[in-house]
Amino acid sequence: MSDSPGIDRRAFVKSAVAIGGAAALSACLDRGPSIDVPRGPEEPSATFPERQHAWNAALPTTDAGNNHHPRHRVLLALDYGDGTPTDAERETVEAALAGVERAYERSAAGLLLTISYSPYYFDRFDDDLPESVDLPEPTALSSFEDPDADAVDAIVHLASDHGEVVMGAEEALKGELGELNGVSQPEAALTDVFSLAERRTGFVGDGLPAENQDVDGVPDDDPVPEDAPLYMGFESAFDGNQPTEDRVTIQQGPFAGGTTQQLSTLTLNLTQWYEQDTRDQRVSKMFCPHHAQNDVVEGAGGNLGSDTRMDDCGDPMETARREGVVGHSQKMVDVREDDTPIILRRDFDSTDRDHAGLHFLSLQRTITDFVTTREAMNGDQIDSDSAVGQRTNNGILQYINTVRRGNFLVPPRSLRALPPADPRATAAENAEVANA
Amino acid sequence: MRKRSRRAFLAGVGATGVGGLAGCLGFELESSSLEPSLVENRPDAVYVPTHTEGMAMGEMGSDGGYSCALTYSYPHRFWTVTGSDTTQVEVGSDDALHLMPVVWHSETGVIPSDVSPRVDVTRDGESVVDGLNPWPMLAQQMGYHFGDNIELPEAGEYTVTVSVGAGGERRTGPLADTAAAEFEFTLDYQPSELRDLPFEDIAEARQGTLGAAEPMQMDMVPTMQAPTADDLPGTVRGTTESGDAQFVVTTLDDATRFGGKEGQQYVAVSPRTPYNRFPLPQMSLSATLSRDGETRFDGYLNEWLGPDLGIHYGAVVEGVAAGDEFTITVDSPPQISRHEGYETAFLGMPDTTLTL
Ligand code: HEM
Repeated sequence: MSDSPGIDRRAFVKSAVAIGGAAALSACLDRGPSIDVPRGPEEPSATFPERQHAWNAALPTTDAGNNHHPRHRVLLALDYGDGTPTDAERETVEAALAGVERAYERSAAGLLLTISYSPYYFDRFDDDLPESVDLPEPTALSSFEDPDADAVDAIVHLASDHGEVVMGAEEALKGELGELNGVSQPEAALTDVFSLAERRTGFVGDGLPAENQDVDGVPDDDPVPEDAPLYMGFESAFDGNQPTEDRVTIQQGPFAGGTTQQLSTLTLNLTQWYEQDTRDQRVSKMFCPHHAQNDVVEGAGGNLGSDTRMDDCGDPMETARREGVVGHSQKMVDVREDDTPIILRRDFDSTDRDHAGLHFLSLQRTITDFVTTREAMNGDQIDSDSAVGQRTNNGILQYINTVRRGNFLVPPRSLRALPPADPRATAAENAEVANA
Repeated sequence: MRKRSRRAFLAGVGATGVGGLAGCLGFELESSSLEPSLVENRPDAVYVPTHTEGMAMGEMGSDGGYSCALTYSYPHRFWTVTGSDTTQVEVGSDDALHLMPVVWHSETGVIPSDVSPRVDVTRDGESVVDGLNPWPMLAQQMGYHFGDNIELPEAGEYTVTVSVGAGGERRTGPLADTAAAEFEFTLDYQPSELRDLPFEDIAEARQGTLGAAEPMQMDMVPTMQAPTADDLPGTVRGTTESGDAQFVVTTLDDATRFGGKEGQQYVAVSPRTPYNRFPLPQMSLSATLSRDGETRFDGYLNEWLGPDLGIHYGAVVEGVAAGDEFTITVDSPPQISRHEGYETAFLGMPDTTLTL
């Protein structure tokens, strides 16, 4: 990487995450003052929660009362290969994960991580997943999409406010670093057990989309607002529109304390959005026409506090019939339970393949909860019963394309290292072996 | 998920100007700035635009029960529509052409209004335009179609993939038998050839007057027009108007194809543009039917596709008798983008009543 002057350190860091690798990391660490991230505990397993996805308590709350979302992300897509895992391999995976957890404290400024497994991973076992886990293979979820299946075995999600931290954790997990943040790293590496099928990267938070808008899918005149946390220009995942972690956690069975993760790769085409729509059209399509007509949303929507006032939007079918347009979030309000959505969104933007995109990552108790929500977003009934089209004026469907879908199980922490499909059966077998 | 790719059968047609317009002025059109300025005092109705344009037809293919022709012209202005608001879209300085994938149902020639084609453009395997969903549009020479201005970096051959979903529930006859389709075309983009496409100024005295440019005939592509009132099936009850659109009303004695029961009737409304008879999809319509002051039907007219009726709106009713009052309410005007000459029409659309 050339150390071109003129690029300030911050701009350099974000692109370094997208580039990745030991060279990018060391170039990054060589520049400017080193960051000061507290270390994690000696024995992470003794203190860290059983729910891998219990991030909220570790995230700061913004002034508006929303969760702050870690700004930099890496997704490591991993293949296990053939056969079933051995205990030694499980120890390797656990040791590698614990290594980075000892290096950085578990926080947004430090490191948050999950590891999750696909139905293709669980296929290798004789046992099926227990009925308490709803993890089908991914399918297309609308008549007008044709996504690839995300057929990798596992996904490691790394998140931090510091690009250096996600990059450092990644290198350590690959066994490239003897020491991370002054903490010596185990011999064990994830790559001893898995092969890295793909690295995916991203970011979310004020300013980052604007800094990263020189990609395909965003028109050339830098239309993304400076303060927007996502490419489409609006804040997302308001606290009032997110379920609790309890609501998305599996309650029963051997994987209780886990959750399911839906991960889709969306590409964005924002030429129409920024060059052919007005702000009123954008607000109508993202929130609802009522919000556009009454100037409810200012700028990126920070004025909304922690609640997008969906009650004021009215019934989506009624709006579609009378206004000819329906809002993205408006369409999904009917799916709410106890006035809260049933999927927990932790999505982020991406420049992977030099194209503006979004890794839509959501957590829910069952994949069915996701499917129900996504079907509401299609608005099929609205499309066929009103002036709203299959995509046109149908929320934001005109601007996004789903190119890949994947379903994963985020097991509870105690089962995070290469879990069997049915830990109860495995425990019983082990007991038999022990008694034999 | 991704099926084994069924590549479309491609029939090379070659780039032919199908404008059929005599008297090309050889107008050198290089960018938007050369589009003539809009007519002043445009009427709230269909009006004669400043100019007409030729169009080039690229390749054509069939797949999944659909056919698709890749047509294009030079980039031009249009208006997007949300509710009753229009937004004028100017040509961008880097726009290369106005791309229009024309999709129709192969057997019936009906242009489906319930699917939204997607366009991807690549060059030597590199993505040039990714996941573009062109707008549904209405143009005086072309009628209802999908299109958008796109940027291409330079002259040369591009691969254009058009994907279409299977189709909605409200279709009758063979229109119901379609599958998701994908068409792959080679587009040879030559700016000089584009500039040779006909571009004809319309006499200033005619610009802005009530009327429309003639629809163009395209070889191999079915007519885009709605059936004439005489050609509609059923008992044609008459024509009424709103917002400059014409609504032809016909009733069919058999409503079973439309979800009705034996003995019920089907009221079909076929809205079309004046002059050129282009169908008007993507409206919210509702209607009341009353006899002797008593309401016998009050509900949505839903958009359907039928082999003989084409794009139309309809409802199942208990029965229709001569003298019944049929009132059509336009809850939302057509949410399709407009080309010049249509952007001021079909927006304010008051209730309209027809005595059957
Ligand atoms: C480019 C892609 C997307 C963007 C930019 C986006 C953005 C937004 C924004 C700005 C809101 C309103 C504020 C909020 O409640 O957070 C929202 C709401 C929401 N979105 Fe998305 N979204 C995208 C894709 C999706 C997808 C794929 C889903 C999956 C089904 C989804 C599910 C939801 C849900 C459940 C809500 C809240 C609805 C409610 O208030 O009840 N979004 N989104």
